[in-house]
Amino acid sequence: MENDELVQNMLLELRRGVLSIAVLSQLSREEYGYSLLKALSDLGMEIDQSTLYPLLRRLESQGLLQSDWRIVDEARPRRYYVISPQGRAVLNKLKGEWSAMAETMKKMLS
Amino acid sequence: MSLIDRYVAEVGRHLPEKDRADIEAEIRSMLEDTLEERSERSRQNGTPVDEKIIIETLEELGDPRLLASRYAPAKRYLIGPGWYDVYIKTLQRVLFIVLPIFAAVTFMLTLAEDPLDFIDAVGEAVGSAFDVGLQIWFWMTLVFVFMERSDAIPNESLNPDTRAWTVAQLPELPRKRQISIAETVMNIATELFLMFWIALPVIRGGSDSVPFLHPDLWNFWLPLFFVIMGLTLVHEVFQLKIGNWTPALTITNVILSLISIIYIAALVLTQDVINPAFLAMLDSSLDTARLREVATWSIDISAAVIAGIYVWEIVHSIRMARQFNKQESEIPASMQKVS
Repeated sequence: MENDELVQNMLLELRRGVLSIAVLSQLSREEYGYSLLKALSDLGMEIDQSTLYPLLRRLESQGLLQSDWRIVDEARPRRYYVISPQGRAVLNKLKGEWSAMAETMKKMLS
Repeated sequence: MSLIDRYVAEVGRHLPEKDRADIEAEIRSMLEDTLEERSERSRQNGTPVDEKIIIETLEELGDPRLLASRYAPAKRYLIGPGWYDVYIKTLQRVLFIVLPIFAAVTFMLTLAEDPLDFIDAVGEAVGSAFDVGLQIWFWMTLVFVFMERSDAIPNESLNPDTRAWTVAQLPELPRKRQISIAETVMNIATELFLMFWIALPVIRGGSDSVPFLHPDLWNFWLPLFFVIMGLTLVHEVFQLKIGNWTPALTITNVILSLISIIYIAALVLTQDVINPAFLAMLDSSLDTARLREVATWSIDISAAVIAGIYVWEIVHSIRMARQFNKQESEIPASMQKVS
């Protein structure tokens, strides 16, 4: 039981850093919250709504995302997010770091 | 939809005013998206979304306060980790310095009003020190809360510039003290109290009580006493500060102790120390001449004991100084603190 909790906490920490990269990577096309959740989920990245929405907002306040309220296809107004130029630059850096890290981890864990 | 309204309002209640409306709208919109998907009914056909699905969705989203806290950049603490250590240290230092002084002053002032009411003076001192302590605690906390919240004062411990750090910034290992702080503070307190007690008749200026010491001593001997005590106090402060029997501290200690011994010896041998009026006032079965004799004897013995203490003090400081010297020479020169 204790181990379960430990694993949960470590997973949470592990995901925290990865989620930002995942979100940034999927926002080259604009999405609203729920559609992004779906997109991530379809790719196998399950994420709580209560985690995703605050994260989107934080990334926007950091200047990595842009957003505005819009009505598309006569639906209700929704907030659409898209990556900003600065976000794209950051994402490219993170991508490089990520592949290096993934490579290293792969070597370590094999 | 009242559950959703209540949920959104509860989240909003814990959000900073500035972002509230926007975040509320966003949460509502995404809730609607979720519900829409889950109930697999279009909004347009007007069927109300099943209550069960609403509950499920909201509970999945979790405690509204927790959700709000994920949005809120607002600080949910008074003093954060960056300031906490500084806060506690400053508080400790100020309280340890101010409270004893305050208690002592209150004690003496109360005693000056009524020298006999010792217990009342102690109560007064403790009580007022407590009040002052609370005040200090409150105001200092307020100051630190302000510093926590304002960016005007940079917090070094919060944003350590790791590149700028060099080993030169490492503090020296604290050298072991030979002179106990508690003991020295006790000495200072005792000396202050003694001076106060002797000066009390002068402070009060009244003629309603008979002083213990001979009034003629004020012509020369008591002023000299205050000079010697003053020097001793200064020396104690240096003892506190330096903490070890360095050559300078030891030599001055020997000189001061010798002066004190000579003073006491001269005082007792050449002067009438006790006020005759005080002796006359005592209700004793002994006749006056015998009483004087006893009083003189007790003064002589006290003087001898005090002189003995000073002698021991001299011997002790010299011994400690030797030990200190030996220790110093064992530390490689390169490690010695340049001060």
